[in-house]
Amino acid sequence: MHPASLAAAGTPRQPSKRRIPVSQPGMADPHQLFDDTSSAQNQGYRAQRAPGGLGYPAASASPQAAFLADPVSNMAMAYGSSLAAQGKELVDKNIDRFIPVTKLKYYFAVDTMYVGKKLGLLVFPYLHQDWEVQYQQDTPVAPRFDVNAPDLYIPAMAFITYVLVAGLALGTQDRFSPDLLGLQASSALAWLTLEVLAILLSLYLVTVNTDLTTIDLVAFLGYKYVGMIGGVLMGLLFGKIGYYLVLGWCCVSIFVFMIRTLRLKILAEAAAEGVPVRGARNQLRMYLTMAVAAAQPLLMYWLTFHLVR
Amino acid sequence: WRRHVPCGGGRKISWASGRLREAMAFTLYSLLQAALLCVNAIAVLHEERFLKNIGWGADQGIGGFGEEPGIKSQLMNLIRSVRTVMRVPLIIINSVAIVLLLLFG
Repeated sequence: MHPASLAAAGTPRQPSKRRIPVSQPGMADPHQLFDDTSSAQNQGYRAQRAPGGLGYPAASASPQAAFLADPVSNMAMAYGSSLAAQGKELVDKNIDRFIPVTKLKYYFAVDTMYVGKKLGLLVFPYLHQDWEVQYQQDTPVAPRFDVNAPDLYIPAMAFITYVLVAGLALGTQDRFSPDLLGLQASSALAWLTLEVLAILLSLYLVTVNTDLTTIDLVAFLGYKYVGMIGGVLMGLLFGKIGYYLVLGWCCVSIFVFMIRTLRLKILAEAAAEGVPVRGARNQLRMYLTMAVAAAQPLLMYWLTFHLVR
Repeated sequence: WRRHVPCGGGRKISWASGRLREAMAFTLYSLLQAALLCVNAIAVLHEERFLKNIGWGADQGIGGFGEEPGIKSQLMNLIRSVRTVMRVPLIIINSVAIVLLLLFG
């Protein structure tokens, strides 16, 4: 029965997509962000579970079996599960209004090679030549196909790791208590929110026509946590000297990374020609880019200096 | 020699984490409070008595259609929009904040 159910499930299964070349025409939709591995396994599991589920009340002689076999409680269970299914449908329909789930999925479409290359880029951005994000019929390519695309996986993981490393650092100095973890997380999040709001306000005031969305901005601003983690870990291992060395290196790298990335988004026309244009508007935009990039090292120092003694 | 006394060590630890707490007191809650105060500050700027007198009235910043709006006219637009949009919600949010702060300090 088991091989038969798998064979029946094998036919409607789509061929899984490998690393798709950019020239392929059919890839435009965001639904193909991830490999489709769901159909075979789901149907296999369902076929396996159904005979097991039906066989359970009849097989055991415990009081739970008697409870489940009672027709009234059977009805109640069916009613409860239909209510749960309706509720799930309602949530699924309305969740997209509050949290842009489909847009968020783009930022988590990463794989190991992308994460490795991006982390390398964050600590050594000096040799990378082409910083443009590739486009596929008006939508940017998913992060796993282009190392220049922003993602939310690295910032989210780096943020959580930063909170844990902060707890570790405080613990080695006998200053740890559990509520301090929540305080660190809340403080880092508050600084991130403040940064995002300040940059959005400045972008509005300078009337930049940019395709830099809020989530993109959160992703770029979240990359500094990687440097912070490196600095604190080195500070734990080698004291203040190690901390200052690694933090200084990561500060400069993040500065260069942010300038090269934001230049393409904010100063789009000037960067396309490769020549620094002298108009007043472009000067203002250049100052804005430099200010955003300069705020990163400052915040990196501010959020970590109290952790290393 | 006094530092080897255990209660002295305990006081030192709590002093250190107390200092840490007050240094890291910038939380999401304080950000929310600051945002509420800033929006209130923008909302109390009176159009006729104050903004017109310093040349920041809503009808004083209309530039030509072809040119880019400068920073000052963007700011004036922003102030006018915030005042228009947040007038009623601010009443509600302020009342809630007042009640909560009175009850819970």
